[in-house]
Amino acid sequence: MSPSLSSRPGAFVLLIASLAGLAIALYAYFTPLTGVTGTLGALVAIVACLALAVMALLLFKVRGRGASIVLRILILMGLAGTSFAGMLLHQWWISAAMVVGLIGLIVDMVRATHHARLTHT
Amino acid sequence: MPTLLPTPFKSITPGLGAVTALAICFTPLPLLAQGQPSEQGNPEQEEAPSRAPIPLVPGEPTWNSFHGQLNAQKYSPLDQINTDNVGELEKVWEVHTGDVADGSGELPATVWSATPVFANDTLYIGTPFYRILALDPGSGEEKWSFDTQSSLEALTQPALKNRGVAYWEADDPVAGEPCQKIIYMGTMDAQLFAVDADSGEQCADFADNGVLDVNQWNDTNDRWPLSLLQPPTVVGDHLVLGWAGMDWAYEQAPPGTVYSINARTGEREWTFQALSDEMRDQSGTANVWTHMSADEERGLVYLPVSSPSPNYWGGNRTEEVPLGTSTTALDIETGEVVWSRQWVHHDIWDYDINAAPTLMDITVDGEEIPALIQATKMGFLFVVNRETGEDVWPIEERPVPSGDGSVEGEVYAPTQPFPTKPEPLLDQSEKPNVWALADAVSFGECSALWDDLHYEGMYTPPTTQGEGTLGFPISAGGVQWGGVAFDPESQTAIVNTSHIVQYIKLYNREDYDKADSGSGNESGFAPQEGAPYGMRLEVALNRLGMPCWEPPFGELVALDMTSGDIKWRRPVGASQQYGFFMPESWGSPTIGGPAVTAGNIIFIGASMDAKVRAYSLETGEELWSDQTEAPSVSNPAVYEYNGRQYVAFVSGGNTILKDQVGDQIAVYALPE
Repeated sequence: MSPSLSSRPGAFVLLIASLAGLAIALYAYFTPLTGVTGTLGALVAIVACLALAVMALLLFKVRGRGASIVLRILILMGLAGTSFAGMLLHQWWISAAMVVGLIGLIVDMVRATHHARLTHT
Repeated sequence: MPTLLPTPFKSITPGLGAVTALAICFTPLPLLAQGQPSEQGNPEQEEAPSRAPIPLVPGEPTWNSFHGQLNAQKYSPLDQINTDNVGELEKVWEVHTGDVADGSGELPATVWSATPVFANDTLYIGTPFYRILALDPGSGEEKWSFDTQSSLEALTQPALKNRGVAYWEADDPVAGEPCQKIIYMGTMDAQLFAVDADSGEQCADFADNGVLDVNQWNDTNDRWPLSLLQPPTVVGDHLVLGWAGMDWAYEQAPPGTVYSINARTGEREWTFQALSDEMRDQSGTANVWTHMSADEERGLVYLPVSSPSPNYWGGNRTEEVPLGTSTTALDIETGEVVWSRQWVHHDIWDYDINAAPTLMDITVDGEEIPALIQATKMGFLFVVNRETGEDVWPIEERPVPSGDGSVEGEVYAPTQPFPTKPEPLLDQSEKPNVWALADAVSFGECSALWDDLHYEGMYTPPTTQGEGTLGFPISAGGVQWGGVAFDPESQTAIVNTSHIVQYIKLYNREDYDKADSGSGNESGFAPQEGAPYGMRLEVALNRLGMPCWEPPFGELVALDMTSGDIKWRRPVGASQQYGFFMPESWGSPTIGGPAVTAGNIIFIGASMDAKVRAYSLETGEELWSDQTEAPSVSNPAVYEYNGRQYVAFVSGGNTILKDQVGDQIAVYALPE
């Protein structure tokens, strides 16, 4: 793990969870007999997971407090929406991946808060 | 009335006419020179078919026709798969026929509702490209295939449709002779093919080298060919053959005719006409486009007769049409009407009787009654004595709404038949409630629509006012052509029903020409050309595609046929939109029927989510499911081969239900 990644383990977990969700959504979309093969819903899940992965990468880059808050809110909404979509698509592993992503987001927020407190003391 | 044809045959009495209800096709036919039946004997002098009684509880597993058995029970005495082990079912083979189109290319979309037919140690199936496949029942390996080379044009239906094949075998097969066992399949362009069940070779002695041109008899209002989407009903040596056409397009259309064809020669034996000569010219249809059932012991074939033309305006047929929208019992040897019960008087709702009645022996108040149950689009189940047509439980004539005066030339039946038992499968007495969720997310669109729809209860006539008349249901539900299954051991009937709200509006010709914005499969605008009114039929959805009425949208219902009471009912399947599955408590609209086995299992596909399922016959509990390629809009087949029980589903899809098509035959069994 690079220094950047090791300094943001929560964001790293979120990134991995998003990519896992993406892989599952791609499988669901392209594989016959998943029940959602070729459907708009599965396509939406693919796009959502991709967007989450991009936002997870942005977490490593964003420095401003306001931008971080907005990004995290967007990620939270993305996780919730994608998890719900996964349930409606009966792709339970997408929902599970989003739960893992949520844990990553929480860890990232806690560590960021902790880091900010250390900086100000 | 049935028409007995003298020998030799001559053209049907001039003046056929009529229209049908759902379907079919046309191909410019090479008018095949029929081997005319100069040697045709008088039908009444022909050898009587072997008449086997319908056993109360059949001992031999049979699945050699569209509804499994000729009595349409869709029942198998096999019990290798039962409630204890059905959860272990696994797919043992699947075949993709390749005969599929989604409508995006040059070919129309396919609609595939064939029941696999198990006979002659072979699984036979027809495809929507009008090919016949003969498969090994244990492995799916192809034994032979036959291509009719039929034109793949949607001549009468909006899609390429097929409901499978029929099987016949001689009682006295001649060794070494071909075509002692025959597979029959029709095409959109009205050709009936007969091929040897062992080899797939055309039967030279049947009609014109194995092809019967049924359209040669299309001599009244012949606006489209007599499409043969439904395989013939085989009763002894008779092939009883109806046809399908193009709904809602014309005021006058080909009139309803059913033919008895000699299974060996293809010669026409008798013709049944549902309309009077006068009515055949000025109206049409009242045809039989779905399968029939038969009681060989009593020599009766039971016809589910559709409504006359045009479907939503009856000003051209104000006289009585007693055989329209009826169950009619014919003498299989002569085609004479033995009895008939009309289920909708002056039908202006397209309430075609769309399923073969299911024959059953039931014990009511200690008396064994030879009965039949007729499922309907209205969600009514009519139970009558199949010998006489008399009520088993009272069927009452009740007053129904008359029109609002907005429709020129229309007359209305003052009463309609209502069964007192079993209770209706859906409550049509009140305007259904608006579904709050669909209303909220559409910002009140559903409520606004409801306010603009006229409804005074069941049989509210179509109107030109507002958004039209609400129907719960109209043409889409409750029971489709899968009909009722029956377990003779427990005398339990099983039926799947859809709960679908539609609305119908009539437009005078000027308004129609302005409003017409096209049509889909069984929805949108249709001209009823020649009539003073065109029409629009829509399912009541909001802009997001959500139903405006409350779930469940489909149910599976078990009925105790000794009392007529409902044993249990439960939502069936799941609805699906854009890939998103809705909660199973909402159920799904269904197309396709159930099968019942002595293992106390109900097998059914039929739902939007393209899953096939097994339910407990006793409790309705879901015990097993599997995902298939497309909604299984067909009847399952249950058969035994080399000591192993199999369940076969065809997953072909139907755009009425969902834009998803398939070409999969999926066959399940317990692990070896």
